[in-house]
Amino acid sequence: MAEELKKTALSDVVSITYITNENAVFKREGDFLSLNVKLPEGVGLDGEATGGEKYFDRIYLHRSFPYEHPYKYISVLDRDSAEIGIISDVDEFPDDIASMLRAELDRKYYAPVIDKILSVKERYGYSYWEVISDGRKLSFNMRDTFRNILKVSPEHVFLNDSDSNRYEIKNTEALDRKSFKRIELYL
Amino acid sequence: MGERAALTSRLCRINKDVSADDVIVAFAFDLPREGYGVVDGFVAVTTERVYVYEDDRLTADYDASGITEYIFTNGVGCVFAECVYNGEHIMLCRASMSHKDTIAAIIWQLTRRLERGTYSYAYEEDTDVKCPTCGRKYPPGSHVCPHCTAKSGYLRRIWQIAKPYRAFIFFSIALYFVSSIVQLIPPRLNRILVDDYIRVDGAYELSFTQTFIIGFVTVVLSILGVNILQRVIGIVRGLTLIEAGTRMTVALRSMVFDKIQQLSVSKISKRTAGELMNRVTDDTNQLQNFIKNDIGGFFEQVLIFVAVAGILFFYDWKLALVILVPAPIVVMANRIFHQKMRRMFHRQWVMNSRSNTILHDIFSGIRVVKSFGMEHREMERYDDATRHECEAQITAETFFAKFSPLMSFLMGLGEFFLLYYVGDKIIGGTMTLGQMQEFTSYVTIIYGPLRWLSNFPRRYERTMTSVVKIFDIIDEDVDVSDKEDATELDIKGHIEFEDVSFGYDSGNNVLHNINLTVEPGDFVGIVGRSGVGKSTLINLVMRLYDVDDGTIRIDGVDIRDISQSSLRSQIGVVLQETFLFSGTIYDNIAYAKPSATRDEVLAAAKLAGAHSFIMKMPDAYNTHVGERGHTLSGGERQRIAIARALLHDPRILILDEATASLDTETEKQIQDALQILSQNRTTLAIAHRLSTLRNATKLIVLDKGTVAEVGTHDELMRRRGIYYGLVMAQRQMSRMSQ
Repeated sequence: MAEELKKTALSDVVSITYITNENAVFKREGDFLSLNVKLPEGVGLDGEATGGEKYFDRIYLHRSFPYEHPYKYISVLDRDSAEIGIISDVDEFPDDIASMLRAELDRKYYAPVIDKILSVKERYGYSYWEVISDGRKLSFNMRDTFRNILKVSPEHVFLNDSDSNRYEIKNTEALDRKSFKRIELYL
Repeated sequence: MGERAALTSRLCRINKDVSADDVIVAFAFDLPREGYGVVDGFVAVTTERVYVYEDDRLTADYDASGITEYIFTNGVGCVFAECVYNGEHIMLCRASMSHKDTIAAIIWQLTRRLERGTYSYAYEEDTDVKCPTCGRKYPPGSHVCPHCTAKSGYLRRIWQIAKPYRAFIFFSIALYFVSSIVQLIPPRLNRILVDDYIRVDGAYELSFTQTFIIGFVTVVLSILGVNILQRVIGIVRGLTLIEAGTRMTVALRSMVFDKIQQLSVSKISKRTAGELMNRVTDDTNQLQNFIKNDIGGFFEQVLIFVAVAGILFFYDWKLALVILVPAPIVVMANRIFHQKMRRMFHRQWVMNSRSNTILHDIFSGIRVVKSFGMEHREMERYDDATRHECEAQITAETFFAKFSPLMSFLMGLGEFFLLYYVGDKIIGGTMTLGQMQEFTSYVTIIYGPLRWLSNFPRRYERTMTSVVKIFDIIDEDVDVSDKEDATELDIKGHIEFEDVSFGYDSGNNVLHNINLTVEPGDFVGIVGRSGVGKSTLINLVMRLYDVDDGTIRIDGVDIRDISQSSLRSQIGVVLQETFLFSGTIYDNIAYAKPSATRDEVLAAAKLAGAHSFIMKMPDAYNTHVGERGHTLSGGERQRIAIARALLHDPRILILDEATASLDTETEKQIQDALQILSQNRTTLAIAHRLSTLRNATKLIVLDKGTVAEVGTHDELMRRRGIYYGLVMAQRQMSRMSQ
């Protein structure tokens, strides 16, 4: 009787389609990636057969855990934003494919890294920032610092400006003392 | 010059082969194709070719006839303009989010051009959103730059709003003047009292004459009189300012509230309910407090300072200098100290609100916490938050305890100089005791305004922040507004969508080229997968949003030409989630028709199947519901909503998953009620349970934002398309659950 009560794991009920080097071929066509993939056979909810070999002339990559695992658990989507499958780890692909996937992701996720904060001025509920990123001076403004400074961890923060541009501070503690003082109030 | 014109002339300057007349559109971008950095680039689409320039260098060039598709793609923190050129996906450019709206609108128009050969520049009016002075973007929906609008601009507007109450304000300022003068009298009287009557030379017996006593009593009574006068002025001034401040706050509150009511749902939903409440209550309160305490106070303190400084200089300019020269330094030190304190207390406040949020989360979700046995983890989380709060508090309080006495000492430093100085003078016989007392009183008085004025900029800044936030809402453009000649239409119920496209966010169309017609009296079921745009479609009929492209007509009239009140007064809605306002059941049913008689309300409730459960409650129709009232089940709330819609007697009835959350039996009852409700009126119904739409005269199947299938249940089943697939899937599900 005890043996009959076999434990059912989630993976027995829901199967995630993983895209691996064995079942998928990524290619750069034009400026973007195409995918030829062999999907497992199955039946969708609407009764249509799914699976088999499929070709997508343009695919989109989306990070499942953008802050913690930028190159792992990558969702591969078609043009209608339907998920084709998930890449467990980009590095499981050969180097040339992995670097192609990384480049595609890096191009999509744009957040200049802030190295130095030159000034933060508050005026009537808006804050005006001047920062140095990659040797260049950037200026932006933010509407609500409480909502637009996202702490991924105590030291790792993202700033969203009023246009929805993103800026990253990888480690607030590694900032110089003056820069840290300027952002400390918001952390 | 607009961006398009500027880029066109730039293109013609760089590329002599291009004529400005051939340029359809040109748009700027600022990011390199890969990696970080900034470029000064633009894309120009001409009738013949598409050019991409980076820093005036041609980087790509395509034959326009080879382009079959234009695509706008959202990245994260950036956007892409793409095209399909000779079958390949090509990236035209990558740009920061600052260019998002413009590029999305242009790509959409280029797509229209490929489909129909038309190109509209209407978006250029909307995307011109930068302040011409500083180049910064206006806050969303506003055309006022908070950075460049001078404080005086806002003050002038507040002054305009204060027009009816100006007399009160002037009167109270006048009282402040009087009160500041009155404040200067007591030291003088004290001096007379000490020097002329409380003699230190022991010659009292010589002085006890009648004149002496009259004089003495007069001085004492004068001190009392001045004191009473000060209090009376204080009371009158307070009452006047309360009157002015409160009235103005009420006026400002109604302005903000009226404006919020005028804004479209899309604009309102960009802000949280809490944020809107802050604007209406906290920010207006801040202004009220400023009017009440600070405007008059400012004049009073300045006047006192100038007068006392004048008196001190008049008496002894050297001594006045000794007292006043360190004052700016002390004031600066005081300011720095307060700034530092403010940062520390702000940090403490953030920590406090964080631990409060955790506490709120835990208590609201206590059932989840307990059912997953997570008490210990939540305890740790809360402990951690309170520990941080405690640390922040200790840091702030320690700093305050260390430096606050020092600041007080510094602020009083002048008084030590004074003691030395006047002591020396008294010993030397050049100053009387009364003079000393008068002098020290004035010195004590002069530090008051200094302290007060050193904190004034902070209070002023805080008030201005509130004022700007208030005007931020007042200045917001009303995007869904009535035309001046909007008509009052007696709706019959004919609805027509012509080439309607719409997206909540630029670049992401939810509905694309929708064409459909609904005849008066039709019961139309709208079907499709989740997120396909069903609710969006009915939101557009209600004109909660305006279409981006195309036209919706009711009885042949564009809904943008119908007054919103006329339109919505003839549309009744029953949503999946019914919101009941705090009030009685009667109030909630009669909400849509306040003039309804009791009989009508009873009839509507009966028809909706609500009467029987209402009558089981002790207070029946007078039962209080809402946040603090009686808790109703989902089915009961739904039936109240249906009664509300029935009473409203709309020409167009909208049912958005009205029965989705109910059990089968209740659903059957409500369906029956809805059946009655939908007779002789146009009904648009969204339902996931397709069986509830079996009697629909027409079914519209949406797929990927477009109309995929139209027909009756039988027709669509025969077609074996998407609808057939959905019905089959539901049958399979219901077989599985049996």
